[in-house]
This record gives sequence, structure tokens and C-alpha cells, in this order.
Amino acid sequence: MVRVKLFATLAQIAGRREVEVEATSTSQLLQRLYELFGEPFRKELEQGMIMLVNGHDVEHLRGMETPLQDGDTVSLFPPAGGG
Amino acid sequence: MEARVLRVNLSDGSTRVEVYGEEVLRHYVGGRGLAAYLMAKEVDPKVDPLSPENKLIFAPGPLSGTSAPTGGRYNVVTKSPLTGFIAFANSGGHFGAELKHAGWDLLVVEGKAEKPVYIYVNDDAVEIRDASHLWGKLSSETEEALREEVGVEKAKMAFIGPAGENLSLIAAVMNDRARAAGRCGVGAVMGSKNLKAVVVVGGKGAPRAADRERFMQAVREKVNKLRNDPVAGGGAPKYGTAVLVNIINENGLYPYRNFQESVFERAHEQSGEAMAAKYLIRNKPCFACPIGCSRVNRLFYLEDEVEGPEYETVWAFGSDLGIADLHTIILANHLCNELGFDTISAGTTLACAMELYEKGYIKREELGEEPPLLFGNTEVPIYYLPKMARREGFGARMADGSYRLASAYGHPELSMSSKKLELPAYDPRVAQGLGLQYATCNRGGDHIKGYMISPEILGYPRKFDPQDDSEAKVAMVKEFQDTTTLVDSMGMCIFTMFGLWIDDYRDLLNAFFGWNLSSEEYLRIGERIWNLERAFNLKAGLTRADDTLPRRLLEEPIPSGPHRGSVCRLDKTLPIYYRLRGWNEDGTIPDSKMEELGIGWYR
Repeated sequence: MVRVKLFATLAQIAGRREVEVEATSTSQLLQRLYELFGEPFRKELEQGMIMLVNGHDVEHLRGMETPLQDGDTVSLFPPAGGG
Repeated sequence: MEARVLRVNLSDGSTRVEVYGEEVLRHYVGGRGLAAYLMAKEVDPKVDPLSPENKLIFAPGPLSGTSAPTGGRYNVVTKSPLTGFIAFANSGGHFGAELKHAGWDLLVVEGKAEKPVYIYVNDDAVEIRDASHLWGKLSSETEEALREEVGVEKAKMAFIGPAGENLSLIAAVMNDRARAAGRCGVGAVMGSKNLKAVVVVGGKGAPRAADRERFMQAVREKVNKLRNDPVAGGGAPKYGTAVLVNIINENGLYPYRNFQESVFERAHEQSGEAMAAKYLIRNKPCFACPIGCSRVNRLFYLEDEVEGPEYETVWAFGSDLGIADLHTIILANHLCNELGFDTISAGTTLACAMELYEKGYIKREELGEEPPLLFGNTEVPIYYLPKMARREGFGARMADGSYRLASAYGHPELSMSSKKLELPAYDPRVAQGLGLQYATCNRGGDHIKGYMISPEILGYPRKFDPQDDSEAKVAMVKEFQDTTTLVDSMGMCIFTMFGLWIDDYRDLLNAFFGWNLSSEEYLRIGERIWNLERAFNLKAGLTRADDTLPRRLLEEPIPSGPHRGSVCRLDKTLPIYYRLRGWNEDGTIPDSKMEELGIGWYR
């Protein structure tokens, strides 16, 4: 199982801050989350997202092809900024 | 187009008006750029920052006070008593716009008053008035008293609190109750001039663009762009800047306990999400801002509502002190606003004190009955901040920032600062580009004047691996610095950089001034100002050795989290940076580069 931590509006839409899903890649994981939490969740990520696997941005791993293993932690954010 | 500069000399009570024409503006735009030009022309870089010979410049930009999105910013420019180098501290709210509505592009304060005074600007009428009765007052008290005294409800003001009066080297210039031109101890310079406040009433309306139709069209276009931007139009207003808490922590660069670690297990308790759920009452946008990231929060039992905190402050009084409790952070932020402190420097100084205490350099006996400086002790910020502002008890030791505190105990390496300015809320052992920015910023250990977190973590304008330390990364640091310098000088907020970029700023400036400069030419202006500030610093005594970071960040690997084992590789990036800037290997600027940028006159 992969532990998924949801933040900001994603946690609101999902109604929880954490969920465990079965997935072997980041694209599969995203698909599972869309199934679980529906259209509003998918829409929230339309304009971009920050997805980390064990604290590393998937952009710098293998993007949506990044493999996932049992015990991995994925952190998922909608687009955000500040400073 | 021209810039009208108001000069007030507090030593002899005189005022003067000067006008700078098109030629100067095409070189420096205005705001921070024009102020840097005046600093270079008029202020001896070796001047004692707290002497009457230093100048204090309030510098909105050409677009401040117009309908340009976020056109409410201003800078306070002076020589910093904290760093010994040039200072430019930026603030929002409404003060900068009001100064423009009174018809002034810059207010230059010179000399020193014999006793406490305030400056009252009502369009062209300028008075220096007695402020003895205001000395010692908190921000809210000062504002209320002054508003009643001038009898104009819409009056806007900038002022200092007790911290600035007592020349704390980490004192801010405050405006609009709770906005701060925070960094570099600019509040102490104001205090050294016996200047409690500047009160402005503007009746001349918004500055007029040279090409009004083209300007309004550009404004509409850029406002729409920001409104439709997922960050500027979505995330920022909803959760405020503290939305970063979880993002930065999950990425493993949220400094914990004076940068001893870079992950805080309880970070979510102080996140923007937690703030919105527990304390948020409403947002409070600055002048002409379509983003509206600022928070108005509940402070239980004491006040109905207070402003802030922002992300940096949450961290400075939270994770950096080992504190999770958000209510303590909101209270500490409120105290800083009332006392007139830079929250980053104040928090980081307390974190430094805690580490000195933890390591046994500050002894329990030395504190007497005062609270132990233990990480996680929520009494520490609440108790010591007022003591620091008034230089009482052990607070006196901490009033001048972490570098002087740590040096007094023989351990300057425990001050998490660069050029003595306390570092903000990101571990540069992860974000290599930001580490270079910390080490090279003209005002010292600053994040926002070259905000590499934007590409390195958030993905704007594109994602760039934080651990990348290649020439491409260094080139981006330079581009961010030069672009930000331009935005700062225009009088706009750098948060627009999440949705706008150099071509957008070009459109606004060209329409406003009636010019047809290219984006490259505008970037060149940013570069010119950056180099002029650097040249001032070099004359003030800056050497390559100052472009550095605390030993911990260069040599001690991060002990835990996703970037465990990493250090900041400044030894690699700094020489590349000097080369890309066209500087010498020792960090000085060759005469040829100065000539090329049109600032050969300041060799």
C-alpha cells in the first residue's frame, strides 16, 4: 500500500488528509484518487500540481511513470505559491 | 515623464523639491532603482548608518498608486546598520500609493531631529511636527493618535515602534498598522533620526500614464492573467502565504531548531490550512491587489482580530524555535507588529539564543528569573520580544540580531545569517539556487529578491530540480535577481511573478511611460540597479568573503529527511555566478562592466 498525504483544497475535497491506495506507478495512483474522490478532485489538479514521492518531486524522478512500492509516501498539492 | 522628489532635512527643518527627468528614469525606472542612484550619488558608503549623514528614502515606484495590479508597494532604502551594506526593505498596504497620490515619487529624509518629530505631508504642504508625546507608543497607539491629530480619516502612515526608537538593529519600519518594511534594521535608521512617523494625505489622485488607453488595456490584460492564474488567483487568496508550510516541509527544507534539522514533524499544525480552519476571519488585500494573500486572524482572549502571520513568520516563531502551537505564533507576530520588529530576524535571533543555551554557552544563571531559552518553550517569544524592544534584561543581548548575540558568546557560526542578515524559512542545503541567492543578495541573507523557491519547489516559471547546481541554475538566479529588481523598482509586488513575467512588466512600463523598450532592455535596467547596489557595497567594504553562508549549511550534512546528507554547494555555484555577472574572480566589478551598464561614473 502507498500512503498518500493530501493538502490544501485536495484534503477538503477528499474530506480527509490521508489515504492508502494500491498503485505501482504515479499515473496509476492518480487514477485511483480520481476514482475515489471524483471530478472536483480531478479538476483541482487540471492546472498543475506538486507531487512528491518520499519527498522528491516526480518531475525530477520519472514523472507520471515513476514506480511506486509498498510503504512509499506520496504528498500531493494543488498549484500553490507564497513567500 | 519625470520623478518628483521631496527632501526633508530634519537637522535644519528645511524641505526641498527636486525633479528627475526622463534620462534618469530610463536608466533606473524609479522606486528602489532611483533610490539606489541617489544613495550612490549622495551617501558615503562608509557612513555610520545611525549617524545624521545617512539618508532614509521612502521609495514607491512609478506604478505605485496606479491601477496596475499590486501597485501599492514601496521600498525603504538606506544604509543598513545591521549589515553595513545597502538596505532595501519592501512593504505593501496603502502608504506607498498615498505618497504617490500626494504627488511624490520619493521622500528623502536627511539629517537628524533634535527631539522626536513626525513629518506631515498633505500634497505640497509639508510640515515637521513634534512627536515627543508619541515616543514609546506601540504601532496601533501611534496610528490612532496620529489619525486623530491630523484629523483626516484616510491619512496613511509609516512609523516605528519601540524597537526602532531604541535602535534595535532588527527594527522594522511599519505602515498601515501591521505591514512592515522589515529587513535590515531600517527602523533603527528612522529611530536614529528621531523620526517617529511619516503621515501622508494625498489628494492629487492616481499618477497619469503617458499613454492612458494603452496603459488601461495593459492593466486589464495583466489583472485577468493574475485572476486566472492557479496560484495568484487561487492558492494564495485561499490559504495565504502559509500554504507553503506543508509544501516546504514535505520537500524536506523547512528548517527546524535553528537549521539543525530541516523537517518538522508537527508542521501541519502551523500550516495555512490549519490557520484557515482555526483562526482566519478574512483576507485583507493591499492597494490595487487582485491577489489578496494577507490574513486577518483571531487572537483569542486579547484582541478580536489581528493581521498576519505570513509564512516566514510562522516558521520563524514556529519550527525554527521548535514550537508547533499556532496561537503562540499569531501572538508573537502581533507583538512584532506592535513593537516594530522584523519577524524573520527576531525569530531567528531567538532560535540562535536557544541553540547557544542548549549548547551551554548561555548559562542558566545568566537569565536569573527570566524564562529558560529552551527549544519548544512558548513563553520565550512572548516574554522576550518586549524585552528586546526595550533593551531590558536578557532581551538587551538579543536586540541587535543573531550575529552580534552569537559573536558575544564567541560562536558567530551559530548565527544563521548572511552578511549578518538572518536567513529565512528554506534550507539552502536543499535549494541550491536559493543558497546562492542568500549568499549574493545585496541586502544580505534574503530570499525574496531572487525567489528561487518558485522554480526549485513550486514550478514557476518551470520546475527546476532544487539540487541542480549547474550553470543553467546559476543563470536563473541571475535572471530572477534582475527581474525582481525591476519589479521592485516599478512599485509592484513580487508575488505577481507567479503569473506574470518580463514581457508583462515591459507592457505595463512602456504604456505608462510612453516608451518602446524591449524586455531585454528592461532586464538590463534590473541588472544595472543590481550592479550599482553591489558597487555601493564594495565601496562600503564588501569582499568575496562576505558572499557566504553559515558554516553549518556549507559543511554539516542535513541529518534527516528526503535530502539527508546534503550540503549547500556554494563553492561550486559562486564562481559561476561571478562569471555570469561579468565580475572578477574576487567578486569585484571590472571597470568595463560598469561602463557597459552605464554606471562608469560610480567607479
